[in-house]
Amino acid sequence: MKEIVILSGKGGVGKSSLTAAVGHLLAEKYKVVLADTDVDAPNLDLVLGAELESTHGITASDKAFIDYDLCSRCMECVDVCRFSSIIGEDEPVIVSYSCEGCGACTLVCPLEAISIQPVENGKLNILNSGSIRVVAGELGIGESSSGRLVDVVKRRAREEAELMGSDLLLTDGPPGIGCPVIASLKGVDYAILVTEPTPSALSDLKRVVEVARFFKVPAGVVLNRAGLHGKSRNAVLSYLKENELDLLVEIPYDPLLPKALAQGGLAVSMYPDAPASVAIRELTKTVDAMLAGK
Amino acid sequence: MNSELRPEIIQAFFKTGFSTPVIGVTGGKGGVGKTTVAVNLAAAVAARGRKVALVDADVDAPNAAILLGLSLDNPVDVPVTQPVFDHQKCSDCKLCISACRLNSLFRPKEKTILLMGECNGCEACFLVCPSDAISRGRRSVGTTYKNTSGKLTLYTGELHPGLEESALVVTAVKKRVFAEADQFDCILIDTSPGTHCNVIDALKGATHVLAVTEPTPLGAHDLDLMLSLLDMFKVSRSIFINRADLPGRMNEIQDVAATHETQIETGLKLDEDLLASYVNGVPVVDAYPDSLAAKTFMALADNLIMEYLP
Repeated sequence: MKEIVILSGKGGVGKSSLTAAVGHLLAEKYKVVLADTDVDAPNLDLVLGAELESTHGITASDKAFIDYDLCSRCMECVDVCRFSSIIGEDEPVIVSYSCEGCGACTLVCPLEAISIQPVENGKLNILNSGSIRVVAGELGIGESSSGRLVDVVKRRAREEAELMGSDLLLTDGPPGIGCPVIASLKGVDYAILVTEPTPSALSDLKRVVEVARFFKVPAGVVLNRAGLHGKSRNAVLSYLKENELDLLVEIPYDPLLPKALAQGGLAVSMYPDAPASVAIRELTKTVDAMLAGK
Repeated sequence: MNSELRPEIIQAFFKTGFSTPVIGVTGGKGGVGKTTVAVNLAAAVAARGRKVALVDADVDAPNAAILLGLSLDNPVDVPVTQPVFDHQKCSDCKLCISACRLNSLFRPKEKTILLMGECNGCEACFLVCPSDAISRGRRSVGTTYKNTSGKLTLYTGELHPGLEESALVVTAVKKRVFAEADQFDCILIDTSPGTHCNVIDALKGATHVLAVTEPTPLGAHDLDLMLSLLDMFKVSRSIFINRADLPGRMNEIQDVAATHETQIETGLKLDEDLLASYVNGVPVVDAYPDSLAAKTFMALADNLIMEYLP
């Protein structure tokens, strides 16, 4: 089995749409598991129109809790917290959203009134779209430890893939380059990096390329909405050449893509002859060759 | 997180120690136009002769400088404390190893204590060491920058690629601008996508928040998450619809807005002038002041000035 992750640095360049389309096309030939590790804004199920099979809470975060019956209000914990996550004038209050669960407060409390406890920080959803199995993580609103939630999603997706005897685990990753991106990237065989021809998207692409190289994951690039701006397209192409990165495909800007999305379908099946659909099939062939060559 | 926050947490969220209004620009989904709105709003406020600070708090992928055609100047390092072990003083009690909840401290056989893996600088190991064998080292996790052009000053936070400490860089860039808040008539904050703690930290101190979205099923879904977050902190907010003419589900956006009792501001359509300004690094209000996009941003800026600026 091959594991491939789709990342971009910049948000909104088409990661989820591409994951859904490539997954859908490859499912005609292979057993496919898709994972959604954009746990802040999981949208893959919406793009696919996948049906929810089961959902359960995930406890992948630790937070400090104060037992106010024991607390003497000495406020030692307020001063020791490096994350300013304990506040208060009269009594200490844990700011749960920023608490890292590091336990420094438990070490200075003279009355052992503070404990670190695991808390539920999100959900794991199992969905189906035709023969495709989808494992999606969903971070609770305002929760933290998204990286650990991503780890749980990946573990479960691998189990599903193993169970199905799957050939491909394709992951729709989060935007950015931080903690959940690194968790999504670690240990995969290949990263598909999506960009578009604008200076912003190129700048973000460069940052995510650095992260992929840092973790020694081979990567190739998809240029989405390729006709948006000629000068920026040239800038992307020369960056790829200078850095010996493969251009996997250029996908033209195609109004049929958002149209299909608005109608709750995939452009590759609703409008198979649309220029964007043709390009996505090209990309799918490339991924197919990677799977065949394993 | 519990949907009911303790009042102290909400008070701390709004507390700034200065009177300059802070406007957050966020949106949940990536690529909906947060930075475009933030940059053009800042340029429009500046065009009205007000001193404005724009904060790029999307430290994973900061793009405001590119959209403004500004370079990143005046770098300040963002450090995090790292334990440094004095092996002469170490009594080999291993208390630090058990105190580290990230399990990043090791003592290989016949060797001395080693830091391997993630360290968030919590300093728990310092607290338990009975031999004063751990001292404070520093590791850089990012950089903040500041650059002024006319009435507009841009503060940018940037995480070093390969690292995970986005939150520390967000806090650092906020601290830098908040320390100089009195110099400005208004502070605008551009956040990362999502609804996690970095977005909350970026929005801390916000007088009002603009939630940017697009009329697609994905835009509506992520807007709902964002408004739920703002509900928890009881933040004043309104919705800005970008690409309002995308084939989509405007009714879904209206439903989400109604559920969260949130007003929808003017929208913006796909616009050639806006795209040209975007790729050329000049705000549309400066590049094409007569365009529809520029007029939309000027009107929005005038509303904000009237509502929130002294």
